[in-house]
Amino acid sequence: MPSDTPLILSFDTSAAHCAAALLSGDRVLAAQQVEMGKGQAEALMPMIEAVMGAGGAGLRDLTAIGVGIGPGNFTGVRISVSAARGLALALGIPAVGVTLLEALREGHDGPVLASIDARRDQLYLQRFAEGAHRGPEMVAFDAIDDSWSLPGLMCLGNRAAEIATKLNAETGPAPFAPAPAIARIAARRYRDGAPRPAPLYLRSPDAAPARDTGPVLL
Amino acid sequence: MSDPVTILGIESSCDDTAAAVLRAGGEPALLSSVVSSQTDLHAAFGGVVPEIAARAHAEKLDLMVEQAVAEAGIGLRDLDVIAVTAGPGLIGGVLSGVMCAKGLAMGLGLPLLGVNHLAGHALTPRLTDGVAFPYLMLLVSGGHCQFLRVDGAEDFTRLGGTIDDAPGEAFDKVARLLGLAQPGGPSVERAAKDGDPARFALPRPLLDRPGCDMSFSGLKTAVLRLRDRLVADQGGLHAGDVADICAGFQAAMRDVLAEKSRRALAGQSDLTGFAVAGGVAANQTLRAALQEVATPLPFIAPPMALCTDNAAMIAWAGWEAYRAGHRDGMDLMARPRWPLDTASAPLLGSGRKGAKA
Repeated sequence: MPSDTPLILSFDTSAAHCAAALLSGDRVLAAQQVEMGKGQAEALMPMIEAVMGAGGAGLRDLTAIGVGIGPGNFTGVRISVSAARGLALALGIPAVGVTLLEALREGHDGPVLASIDARRDQLYLQRFAEGAHRGPEMVAFDAIDDSWSLPGLMCLGNRAAEIATKLNAETGPAPFAPAPAIARIAARRYRDGAPRPAPLYLRSPDAAPARDTGPVLL
Repeated sequence: MSDPVTILGIESSCDDTAAAVLRAGGEPALLSSVVSSQTDLHAAFGGVVPEIAARAHAEKLDLMVEQAVAEAGIGLRDLDVIAVTAGPGLIGGVLSGVMCAKGLAMGLGLPLLGVNHLAGHALTPRLTDGVAFPYLMLLVSGGHCQFLRVDGAEDFTRLGGTIDDAPGEAFDKVARLLGLAQPGGPSVERAAKDGDPARFALPRPLLDRPGCDMSFSGLKTAVLRLRDRLVADQGGLHAGDVADICAGFQAAMRDVLAEKSRRALAGQSDLTGFAVAGGVAANQTLRAALQEVATPLPFIAPPMALCTDNAAMIAWAGWEAYRAGHRDGMDLMARPRWPLDTASAPLLGSGRKGAKA
């Protein structure tokens, strides 16, 4: 493996899948994605081993790790982020957190509206556009209005067709699958010295303050 | 004597993120044990909120590992084994711990061991006092309350336990009812110091039934009724009322735990000692009563830092499993429910998901 070509391992379990990829320069050496609603915690590390094996590389050859930080399934995001932080610590290499909204847009130059299902008829939205970035934020589907429109806007991600109809915009498939997209973005950022990857939730934990505040003290 | 083995322990099953480095294989040496508590994060909610706990663990675990390794004065490359709590507990935290441990084990090329959190507590007397099998363990904490006969590192027999709340939960609830700070254990104990335990008659649940099972839910409700009655009569509580309620509650808890311990001990032979673990074992009144019941057997109460949730106990239980030849794979599962004793009928939880603990 030539030492001047960065070798990036990426993985993501932020949605109903388990995905991993190995990228050398801008070449994907190996990639896997398996759709699964649960069981990512058991499947992820064996998949990483398989991808490393298929790419003909060892963990010690890695330059950096890219990991999907959501938004998406909270537990799924934590599975990958925790594994990435442990692996990066062990290997002494940087781990780069990449949002799945960025991953959707990777490889597309024009204005993009990326959307990810947030359940309860809501979406995580982010608009990528020169001088007109917006989000990421959680928006009810019914509340997506013309304020998100831009000339030449391309809608990518969950319910992209419905959103495109609403905004009179274009839609199409994302140029890259999540894991290769994350690896490409991590390859550009691993030297930046960013903080360790942390989940991007965009939704507060469900928790109500205690009801019983105690009696009056006399 | 075999070569020393250096074990990293990781714990994140409730509201403490912990890591420890233990050198075993000869006289065990605890090289470091660090714990980061989330108490402040949960304070406003009157209890541990699982999602808040999970979020905090995910961003803290690797930092605690680094701190533990640094305090041990070694490097990651000096580790031989990675041991991690794989259950039972709040699944979000357990999952983060297990995944961080898998990343470390895979990256360092080390064996991985998933440890039962309760086994960690139950085996601690062997780490701290070198206690030989078999011994009786009372595990009494915010989440658990059970008597275990420990015949081996994987040989646990549950003699009894709570059929509803854990004592720690009851302490927290009583503190909330009386407007005292969380966690409830220390604040109730402090308030009880000036109280008259005889002023209010509180129930001693299940003392009238044979066996070692316990119940604390009714005691909690009795405190609630008592408080409501006093508030209705006087428009609030005097400091003396709070002290007397706390003293009465603590005395009831003491009587139940002591009598059930006496029964558990009476039913067993060959025991080398009576050990306690769990945060509730910090309560001096309870501790004194348990010590008295243990006589003439040795009473083993590990130092507080090893009684409450910690990672040293996970490293030790990992060591016991490692030397027994166990190894876990990269497909190790995090288990929210994982009873130590699978032979006895479950006390808590049933159905599709199985017994809690």
